[in-house]
Amino acid sequence: MDMFPLYLTVKVSFTATVFTVAVGLVVAWTMAKKDFFGKDFLDVIVMQPLVIPPTVLGYYLLTLLGRSSPVGRFLEDVLGFQLVFTWKGAVVAAFISSLPLFVKPARAAFEGVGAELEDAARLLGKSEIYIIRTVTLPLAWRGILAGAVMSFARATGEFGATLMVAGNIPGVTQTLPIAIYDAVQSADDYTANVLVGVITLFSFTVLYLAGRFTRGRF
Amino acid sequence: MSLGFELKKKLRGFSVDVGLKVDEELMVLFGPSGAGKTMILKMISGLVRPDEGVVEVSSARLFDSREGVDLPIRLRRIGYVFQDYALFPHKTVFGNISYGIDYLEDSEIKRRVGELVELMRLTGLEDRYPHELSGGQKQRTALARTLATSPRVLLLDEPFSALDYQVREKLRSDLLNIHKLYPITTILVTHDLEEAFMLGKRISVINNGKIEQTGSREDVFYRPRTRNVARFMGVKNIFSGTVTGFDSAHTIIRSRDLGAIKAHTPEGASYGVGKEVSFCIRPEEVIVIRPDKVLDNRVQDNLFEGEITETTGKGSTHTMYMKIGSGGALLKIELPNFVLRKLALATGKRIRVSLKKEDIWIIP
Repeated sequence: MDMFPLYLTVKVSFTATVFTVAVGLVVAWTMAKKDFFGKDFLDVIVMQPLVIPPTVLGYYLLTLLGRSSPVGRFLEDVLGFQLVFTWKGAVVAAFISSLPLFVKPARAAFEGVGAELEDAARLLGKSEIYIIRTVTLPLAWRGILAGAVMSFARATGEFGATLMVAGNIPGVTQTLPIAIYDAVQSADDYTANVLVGVITLFSFTVLYLAGRFTRGRF
Repeated sequence: MSLGFELKKKLRGFSVDVGLKVDEELMVLFGPSGAGKTMILKMISGLVRPDEGVVEVSSARLFDSREGVDLPIRLRRIGYVFQDYALFPHKTVFGNISYGIDYLEDSEIKRRVGELVELMRLTGLEDRYPHELSGGQKQRTALARTLATSPRVLLLDEPFSALDYQVREKLRSDLLNIHKLYPITTILVTHDLEEAFMLGKRISVINNGKIEQTGSREDVFYRPRTRNVARFMGVKNIFSGTVTGFDSAHTIIRSRDLGAIKAHTPEGASYGVGKEVSFCIRPEEVIVIRPDKVLDNRVQDNLFEGEITETTGKGSTHTMYMKIGSGGALLKIELPNFVLRKLALATGKRIRVSLKKEDIWIIP
């Protein structure tokens, strides 16, 4: 049996999660601790992938990142970075769709660190960066970790947007969920069952772990 | 170091407008909840930005709205102890106390923390986390954490309000001792009268965002300048009347409730005949006269007879209300329990009281 879809899914999800956590931490912290114009709008944008159909999201990404858009042309001609129909495109799709699942718990975790604790640190002479490192992050890490696990899981299951952006090229962009779809379409029950089993086991593990993180039993 | 400030800020429903100068002393900001006391501390420390004003420590400007000075909180070196302490829950007692000085060398950190741990009676608790501490220990840890950074000014926001009565008593006297050892310019906010009296050599009474009176504790307690201050200081017996004349060092007042009253004229009083004034007497200064007693000079003025309408015991004293004068006004009287027993006072009984003229304070 071809194990490439499994390998690709892990690679895409892992890479996407790195971006999700990096960008998501900044977004979540800013939304939790700062008041600024357009905050609600930013919230709506970031949370959009939770409600918008994945194919619609994929269509947006395809249009934005394809050769016909200035952004896509810039990426390809200037940076030599082709996204559409490559595994990197799958990363972008996974990143965008899993971002809200990270931002929500991470923001709640940041909000849970009382402003008074950070004020206390300021009054003791500490800079903002130092306070984030020594007070905010250490107190919010459970929620952040739970968010990272959830967004990783979401990335592994990404189907619609990935299909739109990266396509279904066996051995190149065919991720696990797409391979399952393919197997079912071609009546390959054995492959379908094995892959479904793998994903199911994985999802159970992830939710169990995320629950333990947030309840603090580690 | 001396602290001086003038602060103005409009808030929802009321506005703060205060100015004060505090030397190396323990100044108490006293006033009812919601008077704006905490807001004042927050503006001094920089946690809240005033609309207008100046904050200076020993003539160094920390904030000046006119010159655009607004020093970041971390550079102000103002110590602040929050009402619920805001200890870092993920750090031990040692970690909390050393947090503000963790840039020093290890040996120096250990020395300073060790000194404070001993002073604050926290020995043996260095490795505990805040949730493993009692309220009093938390409070002392918070104070130690602040003192470790050698602040120029210390702000204490209701530091004892979350504690049991007995712990509170002990910690108040601790605070006075610590203040003797580290004579930092300190402002303590409280709405507890007993606490204000015990800790504040000087007291500033705050009401509705304004300072009603600042003065020595005796001044504020016995010589309130406004009816509000008298009320907050627990005077309770506040009446009003018209000045009808003077008799050597005394003022004669005609009161609707009490009739003619003779009271000591306060120093510097500038009112004349015909002026409406308020006057008051503390409940514990009212003298109940034994029925068989021959009246001597001290108590022959301002005699009243009336019925006791209510008697309530509270610990070592009893509070009674007595109907006084023709208007049905009530006079609050506070007596030690033994006096109550000796005179066999009870609700319904008629008694005679004297309001000594030197104990009546005329609010100008």
